[in-house]
Amino acid sequence: MRRHIGVLLCLAWAAMMISACATPETPQKPYRLSQQGTVVWNDEFEFKPPPAEWKIIQVEVGGEFGFGFLRVDPGPFPSQSMFVYDEEPFGCSTQLGERGGEFFKRYLWSTTMILDMQILEKKNVQLLGGEGLAIVAEGKDPVRKEKVKSEVVFGKRGDRVVAFYLTQWRPVDGTYDPSAFEIFDRFWGSFKFVKKSFYQTLVEDP
Amino acid sequence: MEGHQRNLFLYERFNARVVGVSVDDVTTLKYWAKSLDLTFPLLSNVTGFLGPAFGVGPSPEVKGFPVFSRRTVIIDRKGIIRYAKDGSPDFKDILLFLKKMNKEGGTP
Repeated sequence: MRRHIGVLLCLAWAAMMISACATPETPQKPYRLSQQGTVVWNDEFEFKPPPAEWKIIQVEVGGEFGFGFLRVDPGPFPSQSMFVYDEEPFGCSTQLGERGGEFFKRYLWSTTMILDMQILEKKNVQLLGGEGLAIVAEGKDPVRKEKVKSEVVFGKRGDRVVAFYLTQWRPVDGTYDPSAFEIFDRFWGSFKFVKKSFYQTLVEDP
Repeated sequence: MEGHQRNLFLYERFNARVVGVSVDDVTTLKYWAKSLDLTFPLLSNVTGFLGPAFGVGPSPEVKGFPVFSRRTVIIDRKGIIRYAKDGSPDFKDILLFLKKMNKEGGTP
């Protein structure tokens, strides 16, 4: 009996030592670089990445967007630019024009600012292998003395509308930097779906 | 609710219908439905009497005000609750469940 207990204790000690030696798992990055220099995100999306000064941002659960990039711009607060890919943009319509209207009802509501967004430009574009709609808008908050210029591009993934959007924040007397818009245009222009979405698979699979 | 509206065509494909229940009054719900472009019915449950039937009670996080917790419930055509989950709706989970139910013939 004493021998059995001894063996058990030895086994328990060995198990403890092994678990103590185990190195903690390093969290895996959600993306990888392809040989063509593009980024493959979660084996689902592929795109040309922005320059290195743009930092990756992502919201795991319950966020307004999936992932994107942020750049802190020179100048006083709130000088920064950010663009994201959003699988579930505000609104419900599957028609791009209608969705654009629905989207801007609630866009940037979480900033708690009175922005009174003005549409500056609206044009049809080609993206994701089909028709898209790009809207450029600007909002100003005279109380906080801040402003934002934004470009929102709507496209289709199967039956659903997806969106890309860039926001560039500045003090109300600041100047916008067009280079961020060019980088953003390259981002959505290069964007591809590597595999079918959950929703496409849901309706296609028996 | 906007998420449900977005998925309405998929719910219909799986023979499911959506009804929202809230403790808000009818006027508030009408305004809310209009602002979000909701086309499915919303029920005003001001007294909260429907809550216990679906296992929903006042949220413990909000004291002194009847704010109810969020719960998603799927009921089959016999009136049996087949799915109940607290918190924000997990739309993918809901759709997979509806698809499975529809395939089994247990139309919600």
